[in-house]
Amino acid sequence: MNAALAVFLKELADALRDRRALAIALAMALLSGPVVFALVSNLVSGIEEQVARREVVMVAPERAPTLLNFLQRAGATVVAAPADWSEQIRSGRLQNAVVVPPEDFEDRLARGDALEVEVSYDESHDRAQPLVGATLRMLQAFNRELGMQRLLARGVSPRVLAALEVQERNLAAAQARGARLLFIVPWAALIVAIVGALAVAIDVSAGERERGSLEPLLMNPVPAWAIVLGKWAVVMLYSTAIVLLTMAGFLVSIRLITSETLAALMQLGARELLLFCAVLLPFAALMAAVNMLAATFGRTHKEAQTYVSYIAMAAQFSAVVPIFLTVRDSVWQLLVPSVAQLTVLMKALRGEPLSAFELLLPAAVCAAGLLGCLYAQARLLARESIVFSRG
Amino acid sequence: MIEVVQLAKSFVSGSGRRRMRVPAVVDVSFRARDGAITALLGPNGAGKTTTLRVLATLMRPDAGQARLGGVDVTQDPHAVRASTGVLSDARGLYVRLTARENIDYYARLRGVPAAVAARRLGELAELLDMGALLGRRVDGFSTGERMKVALARALIHDPQHLILDEPTNGLDVMSTRALRRLLLQLRDAGKCLLFSTHIMQEVEALCDEIVVVAHGRSVAHGTAEALRAQSGCATLEDAFVTLALAPPSGAAG
Repeated sequence: MNAALAVFLKELADALRDRRALAIALAMALLSGPVVFALVSNLVSGIEEQVARREVVMVAPERAPTLLNFLQRAGATVVAAPADWSEQIRSGRLQNAVVVPPEDFEDRLARGDALEVEVSYDESHDRAQPLVGATLRMLQAFNRELGMQRLLARGVSPRVLAALEVQERNLAAAQARGARLLFIVPWAALIVAIVGALAVAIDVSAGERERGSLEPLLMNPVPAWAIVLGKWAVVMLYSTAIVLLTMAGFLVSIRLITSETLAALMQLGARELLLFCAVLLPFAALMAAVNMLAATFGRTHKEAQTYVSYIAMAAQFSAVVPIFLTVRDSVWQLLVPSVAQLTVLMKALRGEPLSAFELLLPAAVCAAGLLGCLYAQARLLARESIVFSRG
Repeated sequence: MIEVVQLAKSFVSGSGRRRMRVPAVVDVSFRARDGAITALLGPNGAGKTTTLRVLATLMRPDAGQARLGGVDVTQDPHAVRASTGVLSDARGLYVRLTARENIDYYARLRGVPAAVAARRLGELAELLDMGALLGRRVDGFSTGERMKVALARALIHDPQHLILDEPTNGLDVMSTRALRRLLLQLRDAGKCLLFSTHIMQEVEALCDEIVVVAHGRSVAHGTAEALRAQSGCATLEDAFVTLALAPPSGAAG
């Protein structure tokens, strides 16, 4: 145990003196909060505000005073479309739909002729869907009102037409429209846990080979597990510090940057961030060992970087797979590291209750993986091909 | 005392169809006494470094035995490491640490009490004339300075056996002299010193016994004089060339 402590103290001093790696890690930890919240806030509040404003964009609104009147009664603001509206829609500057009433709108209306209103939009823009939907729904309401008036004028009950009355009830939580984007928050935290201490993990393993210091190190009468344990503890400490710093950055960013809409969308206060730490730290412990193990196969920093970046990529992308598969709450998700953490954190963010099982199972999987990796690494250090082939 | 008996070690090279075993050490036997400096003298690729790595317990021999102070390297590598100091070809210092921190790290790993380590480091620093180096970071040290730090690190636990792989590689005259002085002092203190080299002057100036290694076999063993006599040559260099190039005697050709 003394040997493990000696390794730990030495590697800690060594890591803290690597100023460049330290600066990069600190910058990542401090910046990820503000960047993530500014991004998500912007995306979400854009959608929310415009829908809430109930804006309808119309070409030459003066052509259709009746429609105008209806829309204003329905609480919408009618905005005249800019001259180059089709160009603006294509470029994404204008995300809302544009309503184009025919020139003889009022005449046709008065005569009771067929009326055609063109609605132009580009549904490929990310914010378009809710806005366009709101505009279309309002036009349909206008249509219904017109129809009812005409039926009444002919002495027919409007009920004849409304055989089926559709009552829409969106079961998503009040503001869930933007909620799909929320995964970015725990995802960013997860990425920090994966790559935060990468430089140290590589330096204590491949760095040791590259410098040729592994060979003399292993000639000390010290068991390999003590060396591995001491090194892992430093990587873990580094990673922990970075995860905690990132969470502190999140906490500050929520206060400073987040819009009210976003604040209403998610549960993220000090309590949730503590939960984030509880979920992320076992995962960070596992990733520290995984990264060290992978980097040990590298004879140089450069070679190790290649191996480790594949692992980091796999971990980052596998985490978001369930979100796009839209599967929820199956047990296998809790068994796969990175997928499990993101699933649990998303639940926490949505304010759903978490069971002890959901917290402990992923942590247990991480602990088992951690022990496996440390054991494998200790075995690896006894291999002649690892000790003696240098970059 | 270091004893090596019919040591053999080969490596696997290539993979798939090109996979083959390359023998590095075929049959090396010798004995290095306490209170003496023994040289493993041989051309490049003769198997010197591999032999030393087996003695340092980092490689397992395929056949034969190696014992340090009567302890077999495969049976109790832990005990062998505890009684041995190794200056490997790769100095392997940590450049962001100071010379003192590098040495203290190994003292701690070897369980040397801090006070003992500090006293010993003081002595070694004086012998190697490296007092001014101790507080500086290793980054930027010259080859000679690095050798001194690595040597002090290998000696911090006062080992009975000292194994040095090409210790004078790349050293200037002053560093070489400091090294020689220290090695002679260690010998006089009764330590067992074994080093590999291909430099004749080194051997003549320093060694009590010489083991000539060629093609993975130990081909001759004795003092410089005995080797000259055995080969019938006037200089050690000629003797070495004659002995090293002679067709291997015994079984395999």
